[in-house]
Amino acid sequence: MRRKTARKWAVVLCLVMLLALVAGCGKSETPAPAEDTIKLGFLGAKTVKNANYGIPGEKGMKMAIEEINAKGGVLGKKLEGIYEDNKGDSREIANIATKYCTVDKVAAMIGDPATGLTKIAADIAQKNQVVIFSAGATGTGVVEIGDFVFRNTLLDKFAAPSVVDWMINTKGWKNIAIITSLNNGYSTALTPVFKSAIEDKGGNIILEESVNDGETDFTAQVTKLKQANPDVLVFTGYYTEAALIMLEAQKQGLDIILVGGDGLYGEDLKKLGGSAVEEKVIFYAGFSADQPSPETDAFIKAYRAKYNEDPDMFSAQYYDAVMIIAQAMEKAQSSDPKVFKDELAKLKDYPGVSGNTTFLPDREPLKSPVFLLTVKGDKFPALLEKIPTSAPQV
Amino acid sequence: MLLQQLVNGLTLGSTYALIALGYTMVYGIVQLINFAHGEIYMVGAFVGLFLVTAWNVNLGLAMLGAMAVCMMLGMTVERVAYRPLRGKSSRLSPLISALGASIFLSTLMALLAGVNTRRYPAIVDLSSYSLGPVQVSSMQVIILLVSAFLMIGLHMLVRRTRIGKAMRACSQDLEAAALMGINVNRVISYTFAIGSALAAAGGVMVGIYYNAVWPYMGTMAGLKAFAAAVMGGIGSIPGAMLGGITLGVLEIMGVAYISSSFKDAIAFGILILVLILRPQGILGQKISKKV
Repeated sequence: MRRKTARKWAVVLCLVMLLALVAGCGKSETPAPAEDTIKLGFLGAKTVKNANYGIPGEKGMKMAIEEINAKGGVLGKKLEGIYEDNKGDSREIANIATKYCTVDKVAAMIGDPATGLTKIAADIAQKNQVVIFSAGATGTGVVEIGDFVFRNTLLDKFAAPSVVDWMINTKGWKNIAIITSLNNGYSTALTPVFKSAIEDKGGNIILEESVNDGETDFTAQVTKLKQANPDVLVFTGYYTEAALIMLEAQKQGLDIILVGGDGLYGEDLKKLGGSAVEEKVIFYAGFSADQPSPETDAFIKAYRAKYNEDPDMFSAQYYDAVMIIAQAMEKAQSSDPKVFKDELAKLKDYPGVSGNTTFLPDREPLKSPVFLLTVKGDKFPALLEKIPTSAPQV
Repeated sequence: MLLQQLVNGLTLGSTYALIALGYTMVYGIVQLINFAHGEIYMVGAFVGLFLVTAWNVNLGLAMLGAMAVCMMLGMTVERVAYRPLRGKSSRLSPLISALGASIFLSTLMALLAGVNTRRYPAIVDLSSYSLGPVQVSSMQVIILLVSAFLMIGLHMLVRRTRIGKAMRACSQDLEAAALMGINVNRVISYTFAIGSALAAAGGVMVGIYYNAVWPYMGTMAGLKAFAAAVMGGIGSIPGAMLGGITLGVLEIMGVAYISSSFKDAIAFGILILVLILRPQGILGQKISKKV
C-alpha cells in the first residue's frame, strides 16, 4: 500500500515538474510575431556569479530599447530584447549564445561583461555571423576572434598604463605588490598588463601573490604583504575578494592603498569592506556619475526616474551598446549583421553616456577619459580624479 | 612570520576540523558521504547573520541559535533525503540524494538571501593584539577556544554517554546494534544533529572572522573539510580534528613559504600522498571488509 502511494506521489511530482518546465518555457518566449521586430540578445549573469555586472547591464539595455521603441524603433521595426541569465557560467553562456543565434535569430548579442565569457560567446557569434557587442570585456584577445566581434569599454591596455603612470609619477608609489586571482580570467589577463606598465614607468614589483575567487582566507597573503611593506598594492581581481583582502589587512593592522581595474566596480565593495576600503581602494572605470557630460546627465536622470537608483558603468555601457548598434543599423539601412557590422566598425567620436568612443582600425574601442574612483563615506563610487587615457600610436 | 602564519593556519584548520567532524561521524555510522554537510555550515552562517541583524544578539546566542536551527535541518535532511533510501537501494543512491540536497539548499538560500556576499555587523571586536611578534585577533582566540571546547565536548559525548555508546555500537555494526535493541534511526538522527550543530558553530564563527557569508560558501569549505576528514581517517573523530588542523596549517604554510599559486595543489597533493602511504588516513583503522 505504502509503495503504491509513493508511486502516486512520484507521478504527481513528475507532472508538477513538467508543468513548471512548460510554464518556464512560456515565460521566456513571449515575443510578438517574429518578423516585425529586430531581436537583441542579452548576455550577462543575473544570479550566481558576476550578477552585480549583469543586473545593471540588463536595466541599461532595457532602457535603451524602450527609448528607441518610443521614438518609432529602428528601420520602422521595434527592437525586442531577450534576457536570459547565463549565471556567469561558461557552459551556460555557450548554450544561451547558441540559442540566440539559431533559435531566436537575433541581430546582435549584447554582453557579456566578463572577458572570458565574451570570448566563448564571440566564437559562436562569429560562426553564426551574428554581431556580438560586449559592454564590459576589457581583456585581450576579444575582437581578434573575428569581424563580427565588437566591444565598448575602457580597455585595460589603455587604462592600466595611465593609472600606473599616475601611481608612480603623481603619487610616488614606486614599490608595488601585485595580487592576482588565479581562477579569474579577467585577473590573470590584467596582471601582465599592469606588470609591463610598471616596468615601463620605472616601478619595482616587490611581491607577487595570488588568491582564488570564492576563497575567504587571505591571512597568509596579508601577513607576507605586511612583511614586504610595499607603497601600494595592485589587485587585479573582483570587488568581493578586494574587500576581503582589505578587511584582513585592517585586522592585521596593515595600512595600505589597493589599486585595481573596473573589476572592483561593484557596490558590494563598500557593503562588504566598510571602513577597511574607505578611501583606500582606488579603481579605474570609463564611467562616473559625478561631473557628467550633458548626454550622461540626461541618462542618469532618466535612469534614476525609472529604477530609483544610480546607474553604474555597466548600465551605461549596455545602454550605449544598444544605441550604437541601432545607429549603425539606421546608417546601413539594414538589420542584417553581415551588412551593419561594417557600419559599426566605422564608429568615430561617438558621444555615449559612458564616455567618448572611437573604434580603431582593429575595431578596438578607444575611450576617454579614465575615471579614478573610490569609496567615500556613504558614496559609491566617488570620483577621485579624472586622468587622460594614454592613447596608442595610431 | 613563522609563528604568525602558524596562528593563521591553526585558525583556518580549526574551522575545517569543525566541519570535518560532521562528515566523519555520519560516515562512521552509515558509510554515507553527506555532501549536504557543507550547505548546513552555510545555513548556520546565514541563521547567525539573521539573528544578529534582526535581533542584535551577541555571538554566543547567534551560535546557539544557528546550532539549534541546523540540528533540526540536519535531522530533516536525513529524514527526507537519506532515510527513505537506506537499506532499500544501492549505496550510490543516498550519495546522489546527498548531492541533490546540497544543490537544493544552496540554491534555496540564493533565492531567499540573494547571491551577494554579506558581512556580519561588528558584534565582536576584530582588532588584534600583539603577543611578541605575533598578532592575534580576539576572533582567532574565540575560534580556537570554541572549537577546542566543542571537540572536547563531542569526545565526552561519544565516550561517556549512553547515546555515545549507541553511536559507537552503530558504527561497528548497524545490524547487530539494531538486534541489540538500539533504535538505529534515532541514533542516526542524533548523529546528523550533532554534526550539523558543529558545522553551524563553524559557519557563524567563519562568517564573523572572514566577514563573508554567501550561499555558495559551503561547497569549497565542504570539499576541504571532506578532504581533511579523509586525510585524518574517515570515520575517526580524532582523525577529523587532526586532519582539519593539518590541512589548514599546510595550506597556510604552502602560501607562506612556497607560493600562493600552489596553495590548493600543495594541500591536496599531501592528501594524495597520505592516501598512498596510509590509505586508511592518519588515524583511521584498517577496515577488514565485511562479507
